[in-house]
Amino acid sequence: MNVIGYGLCVIGAALGIAIAAQGVANSMARQPEVEGRLFTLFILASAFIEALCLIGFVVSIM
Amino acid sequence: MGDAFQQVSDSMGELIESFFTTPIFGDATVGFTITTFYFLLACLIMLAVIFAYKRKMEGTLVPHGVFANGVEYLIEYIRDDVCKGTLGDTWKQHFPFLATVFLVVMFGNYVGMLPTWKAGTGTTGVTGALALMSFIYFIYVGMRKKGVFGYIKSLAPAGLAAPIAAVVWVIELFSTFLRLITLAVRLFCNMFAGHVVMGVFAIMTTTFVQPMLMQFTLENMGTGAMSILWMALLILIYVVELLVAFIQAYIFTLLSAVYVQLAEAEGH
Repeated sequence: MNVIGYGLCVIGAALGIAIAAQGVANSMARQPEVEGRLFTLFILASAFIEALCLIGFVVSIM
Repeated sequence: MGDAFQQVSDSMGELIESFFTTPIFGDATVGFTITTFYFLLACLIMLAVIFAYKRKMEGTLVPHGVFANGVEYLIEYIRDDVCKGTLGDTWKQHFPFLATVFLVVMFGNYVGMLPTWKAGTGTTGVTGALALMSFIYFIYVGMRKKGVFGYIKSLAPAGLAAPIAAVVWVIELFSTFLRLITLAVRLFCNMFAGHVVMGVFAIMTTTFVQPMLMQFTLENMGTGAMSILWMALLILIYVVELLVAFIQAYIFTLLSAVYVQLAEAEGH
């Protein structure tokens, strides 16, 4: 049951990171000069999404 | 091979147990725990690094050598990227606090990356205290800027009709207190989950190689060969965790900076 819950949690995180990566890739293709700032933004956004996923992980094994 | 997987899942409980903090004296609520010890150690290492840097920079303004340049690069990274980037004109006022938070969290994270050591930030107690500090700091900054009453009122954006403003105010108050929890839980979960994943791969490596050491048969050699794969994955996860330790310190500082900026901002 815990594993199923964690799997559901991963679906959301995977979608979130995928959307973020897609947006960054699109914007980089349009405007290559903002690459540095976009990368920081992407890492930040991924960290927020990943944190949700990790909270799910910790809750599922506790 | 099935046996090996069974053994891994049997030792999971023990692994997770080993990441919970154990008191050296006193108890886990009030007392000196193993995590507190490593956190203290991290702070001491941090102070040693900073004093060594100061000693090296005495009488000169130009950093020489890898060490002095590395420390300066780190500090300038916080200054330019976090403070100047998010805070704007008032960055000078908040830089000492933000740099301290960054260094404490970063050293706390990196202490746990050394084999057999534990992360100083690996318990909700330590991360909660750090989050509380930053929470009190940004509320203090907001209250100093706008006055106690002004800050409380400024949680809701100005220019809304009275009934809507009341609803928004309650939501904003709730989300302000939620910041405290999310700051603490994010850091703790990242450290805890990272160490659990590394621990699982370390256990897998040893469990898969064990039958080969006991009895040298062809089948056991196949199982043993798989532990090379687990070892490679362990090293990969370790590298990722080195990155995560830095990114989490960066995010903790950046979010503190954003909250300070929001508390200071005039209107919305």
